[in-house]
Amino acid sequence: MSVAGETLAGAGDLTLRKTRESLWSKARYKFRHDVWGMVALGIVLVYFVIALGVWLGIWGQGWSAVGGEKWGSMSAEYWFGTNIIGQDVYDRAIYSIKTAFEIGLVVAVLSTVMGAVLGAIAGFFQGSWTDEVILWLMGVLDSIPFYLFVAAVAFALGGYAYSMHLAMIAVFWTITARLVRGEVIKLKNFEFVEAAHAIGVPHFLIIFRHIMPNTLHILLVQSTIVFVAAIKTEVILSFLGLGVKDGVSWGLMIAESTQEVLAGHFNNFVAASVLMFGLVMAFNMFADSLQDALDPKKVS
Amino acid sequence: MEVLRFAIKKLIGGIPLLLGVTFISFLLMVYYGPDKTYELLGKNPTTEQIAEIRHELGYDKPFLVRYGDYLKEIVTLDFGYSDSTGERVNRILKRTIPISMAMVTPGFVLGNLIGVILALTAAHFRGRWMDKLIMGGSVVGMSISLLIVVIAFQIIFSSSYGLDLFPVRGWEVYNVTSYIQYVTVPTLVFIFVSLGYNTRFYRAVIVEEMERDHVRTARAFGTPPAKLLYKNILKNSMIPIITRIMFSIPLVIISGSLVIETYFGIPGVGKVTYDAITTGDQPILKAVVGLTAILFVLTLMATDIMYKMVDPRVSLK
Amino acid sequence: MADTTPLLEVRNLTVEFRTEHGIARAVDNISFDVGFGEALGVVGESGCGKSVTALAILGLIPSPPGRIAAGSIKLNGRELVGLPESKLRKIRGSEISMIFQEPMTALNPVFTVGNQMSDVLRRHKGLSRKQAREDAAELLRLVGIPDPKQRLREYPHELSGGMRQRVMIAMAVSCSPKLLIADEPTTALDVTTQAQVLEEINLLREKLGTAVLFITHDLGVIAELCDRAIVMYCGMIVEEAPIEPLYDRPRHPYTEGLLASIPRIRDRKLKRLPTIAGMVPDLLQLPDGCRFADRCEKATGRCQLEIPTLEGARKRKVACFHPVNG
Repeated sequence: MSVAGETLAGAGDLTLRKTRESLWSKARYKFRHDVWGMVALGIVLVYFVIALGVWLGIWGQGWSAVGGEKWGSMSAEYWFGTNIIGQDVYDRAIYSIKTAFEIGLVVAVLSTVMGAVLGAIAGFFQGSWTDEVILWLMGVLDSIPFYLFVAAVAFALGGYAYSMHLAMIAVFWTITARLVRGEVIKLKNFEFVEAAHAIGVPHFLIIFRHIMPNTLHILLVQSTIVFVAAIKTEVILSFLGLGVKDGVSWGLMIAESTQEVLAGHFNNFVAASVLMFGLVMAFNMFADSLQDALDPKKVS
Repeated sequence: MEVLRFAIKKLIGGIPLLLGVTFISFLLMVYYGPDKTYELLGKNPTTEQIAEIRHELGYDKPFLVRYGDYLKEIVTLDFGYSDSTGERVNRILKRTIPISMAMVTPGFVLGNLIGVILALTAAHFRGRWMDKLIMGGSVVGMSISLLIVVIAFQIIFSSSYGLDLFPVRGWEVYNVTSYIQYVTVPTLVFIFVSLGYNTRFYRAVIVEEMERDHVRTARAFGTPPAKLLYKNILKNSMIPIITRIMFSIPLVIISGSLVIETYFGIPGVGKVTYDAITTGDQPILKAVVGLTAILFVLTLMATDIMYKMVDPRVSLK
Repeated sequence: MADTTPLLEVRNLTVEFRTEHGIARAVDNISFDVGFGEALGVVGESGCGKSVTALAILGLIPSPPGRIAAGSIKLNGRELVGLPESKLRKIRGSEISMIFQEPMTALNPVFTVGNQMSDVLRRHKGLSRKQAREDAAELLRLVGIPDPKQRLREYPHELSGGMRQRVMIAMAVSCSPKLLIADEPTTALDVTTQAQVLEEINLLREKLGTAVLFITHDLGVIAELCDRAIVMYCGMIVEEAPIEPLYDRPRHPYTEGLLASIPRIRDRKLKRLPTIAGMVPDLLQLPDGCRFADRCEKATGRCQLEIPTLEGARKRKVACFHPVNG
């Protein structure tokens, strides 16, 4: 029975894998021919290499050293000048790329995983109390004012350095979960799933081996969107004093600059905003091209 | 009558949501929140003094009783007194909510209106340079952080480095002229920040509607393209448009204006909420969370009734 | 009908669509006429280009990706290809109108029947709001809808499929068009309703003298309604003939195959229905020769290399090197 089950389920999987492969190969073809998407990906990769360099200790290490004069202008030593206490703006801006990637990746990966699992479970058991509870939880999380929620998490965790990350993950997974839930509801009526049911494949195996792989394109697109959202949110949270605790980030730099700009010192502000804009813009365009290539429902 | 029965049903259906929101917020913010005992005590307090303060603050009561007290506050809409100023929370809200509304309404309305107009234009010229220009512009708009926009607009409009036309911060509004003086820059910020997202969303909705069979029918009967857009397609796209607008209302009022109000020093709910966050003023935070949740339930109800108004196929069941 | 100019004159029409993998020629160099008051059937499998032909006549080919690459379409001697959009709009719904396949989705769900009908009447006939509503009610009565005043206030989802299709027909004839294009108007309906709707179109045609271009994959429907038919395969016309000879002595092997695959109730014994072997070729990878050659029993080497042209007497043409029933 179990042997027969494996082969039968495998056959169902095979027919679907064929269509899945054509989706991915088509997407690769489409993406390769998308000039803007490729340029955007290139820019994102450049940022990523810089972040990796910071992480490996190659550059951007002098971000906290107090060396120069107060509000020094651009020079050979301080490319972007110095801030109010004489720290190197260039090193701080570069180091912030690492911070941004850290936040973006952690939040995007974890919230996508969470959204995928809970969304798939809700969709698979659509209409059951499990589904109701997950839907209720999503509704609740969506109804709490976001900044208050972040503050509350920070309170509850007593100023834990990653409370901002946790709060973002706790809120951002709901969008992914809704999308995955919808897709799973559609997929679970497909014949290969019914076949798997008929031969007694356990539920969790059906969900995670047979259904989830077919939502991969949604997860990929969604995680790029969350990545951007996380970076943008960090800036505001850091400004509000709820964000990054250790290290430096674009948010902290811009918060610092709010006092400076009115006095005519734009170094911090320009460095952080331009670098941040570049990454977010490139990532937005990359996400867009990815969606064009992967999402058959996307209208263009 | 049908509408009334529906509304009551929806309100009852909103109770689990209300309980969930308040429970999670209460757990995180109050139960595990900052302990205010020592802030309120003098130096070297005695054990009795500590116990007295803890009793006053309700810390000695069991968890469920304290949560029950919070629910009672929501039902009676009486949230007690602010920890930091001692003012009645209701009075604070009554004073600040109108300010927030006055601050956010023009930007919110214009942001959505201009978004729909740009989306219709882009959809009309779908695939041509006008479309590409508008959509390219939206991606740029989406990529600039709210904070950067706030600072940049302040430099451009309110500082001696730019046009220097409007006050930098504050809210001294007593007539139309002063209202315009103080509301313009926040409104521009609001429009700029929301426009990219709005335009993209609305264009996607409209383009999807444009591909429907009934649009082809209308074209086959000689409907001019402009009429097709504003009559046939727009009305059919109303459900997603209404959903987006309605659901952003509760969050826009609190979250959206929090940053802008804080930065521009506008004494609305957002600013009060921010101050409450930094000082740990729990009565105010509890009130804001509770009211937002109620607002959400009301929005859910109103949205469903509005669906019925724009789409005859929707029944209030 | 005899030797005067026809109502609709299609000459060498070619419609192309740009796709990711190249240019697909959905309609390839076709020519046909429709006389005043005539009912012409267009038969073929889905994807053979019959609906695209209809859309091309109305100037409704979605562009991009599609375009009329060559040819001419003349209505009453007036060239429609290349006519500015504003002029085409005046023709659509008044001189030529169209009935679509899906009555469920072809009407706008959020406007009442009356609103949609009077919209057309007011635009093309310049009627007042009140006059348009009265005319609309009269039209609904004409297509056999009971209690038309009440129906005008209803939304499409409140009507049955057959009722909706009648509304569609009423709307289509509301401005007394010279040509009515019906694109599979009965395919989505159940059999009894189908017959009623066909009867309705037939009656209207007699009453109003409207010419009908009837597009379908169903040869049986054509027999009931049309004077003449053209058979399309893979973007080309393979046979053109008056109805009776077409049924009695089809000349193209494809037509013969189509006719053979119609189930006949008269047959006593339950036989397996004959089918045409093979598949329609991909529009992106068309063979050099006759497009039906790969599925044709009579195909020879010449069929693989050369495309046969549509030839014959005025009313009886076939595009085949080895016609049957010769």
